[in-house]
Amino acid sequence: MIREGIQEALKLLLRLDEAVIDAAMRSLWVSIVAVVVAATLGIAIGLLLARKRFAGRSAVVVMFRVGMSVPTVLIGLLCYGLLSRRGALGEFELLYTTWAIVLGEFFLALPIVVTLTHGAISRLDRRVFETAMTLGAGTVLRSMTYLREARLVIMLAVLTAFSRCFTELGIAMMVGGNIPGRTRTLTTATALETARGEFASGVAMSLILLTIALLVTLIIALLSRRTGEAEL
Amino acid sequence: MNLSAESATPPAITVSNLTVTKGEQIICQIRNATIDRGSTVGITGPNGSGKSTLMRVLAGLETDFQGTCKVAFPLSDRVFVHQSPYLFSGTVLANVEYGLRARSVSKSSRRELAELWMARFGIEHLADRSVSSLSGGEGRRTALARACVLKPGLLLLDEPLADLDTAGAECVLAALHELSESTIVISSPTALAKELAPQLIQIGQ
Repeated sequence: MIREGIQEALKLLLRLDEAVIDAAMRSLWVSIVAVVVAATLGIAIGLLLARKRFAGRSAVVVMFRVGMSVPTVLIGLLCYGLLSRRGALGEFELLYTTWAIVLGEFFLALPIVVTLTHGAISRLDRRVFETAMTLGAGTVLRSMTYLREARLVIMLAVLTAFSRCFTELGIAMMVGGNIPGRTRTLTTATALETARGEFASGVAMSLILLTIALLVTLIIALLSRRTGEAEL
Repeated sequence: MNLSAESATPPAITVSNLTVTKGEQIICQIRNATIDRGSTVGITGPNGSGKSTLMRVLAGLETDFQGTCKVAFPLSDRVFVHQSPYLFSGTVLANVEYGLRARSVSKSSRRELAELWMARFGIEHLADRSVSSLSGGEGRRTALARACVLKPGLLLLDEPLADLDTAGAECVLAALHELSESTIVISSPTALAKELAPQLIQIGQ
């Protein structure tokens, strides 16, 4: 059954099946937008948490750490509450649109980027901060210097966040609604096709998911090796 | 212990009853020391005598101490080079230009000054080389060039001659002579040559 499924899946992929490509492109778009926004904000928050001392800082760090392990269905549920008609963002009518999935995946990616960036900057050699300071670097140059010195781990953080967003199901299912041609992503399509007995389509979607996940994992592994070398 | 580098000019640095502790342990203790503006002073003493700690106090990096430490230069006019300097990832040129960039020096002047000081430290041929491929001595010269190019009021060098061969040490000596207006404090575990540091302060005895 699996072999037949794979054969069928390859046929679907080779003839660039419209439904499969549509779901794949949407998955990519949604994940990329969510991660770009989360990375922009998350790197700044991570840097701030690592370098500034303020009351409640530890609590904020712990909150983001906890946020890394929140199940995607729970994030989906919270976003559903926010976006439903009576929710705080209900007036924007974003529920069951791709922007709803973007919002949910943003909340999924943000704690990953913040926590790993915070860890990367905090673990930098003390001399990085002291050298930048003694050479007279202002806030902007200092911040750029820290980010540059920690760039490999920060890139790892962003890729990890992307990997999580691209392969998640709970958020896309709950706030996207799996509407064909509008909010269907690779993961929701895989779940639906398999439930309908369309095993080949399910496998085809999974193959794309697997290929991109493997690609990201490969990049992460290469970066990790470079990070390891840099720390030696 | 009463230490001073004697001179008639008003002091650039005055240290009085300075004690730095880590936990229960005293890691640096100096009763009195004065260093005059524009002078080059060597701080010598055995390992663990507190030389690096004193340098860090003077650089403003160590603020948790007892006693008085008056430095006539603002933090922005003090540059400290670590015993084991840290070079930012990138090229030698980018590192030497770093402090100038922080001071918003124009790109062309930055380049000109960086090239001048790289030449003084004999590393001009390494300008485009990544710092990750430098030897210990080349890295140290880069860090020293990066500090000296700023011509700071107070230059603090923690064991600057470590890793350097004779030619490297001569480069440092010649380059430091170019900073006639700076007050230079050099720490070293061994006695420093008279031409490098005419005045010596010995600690930890």
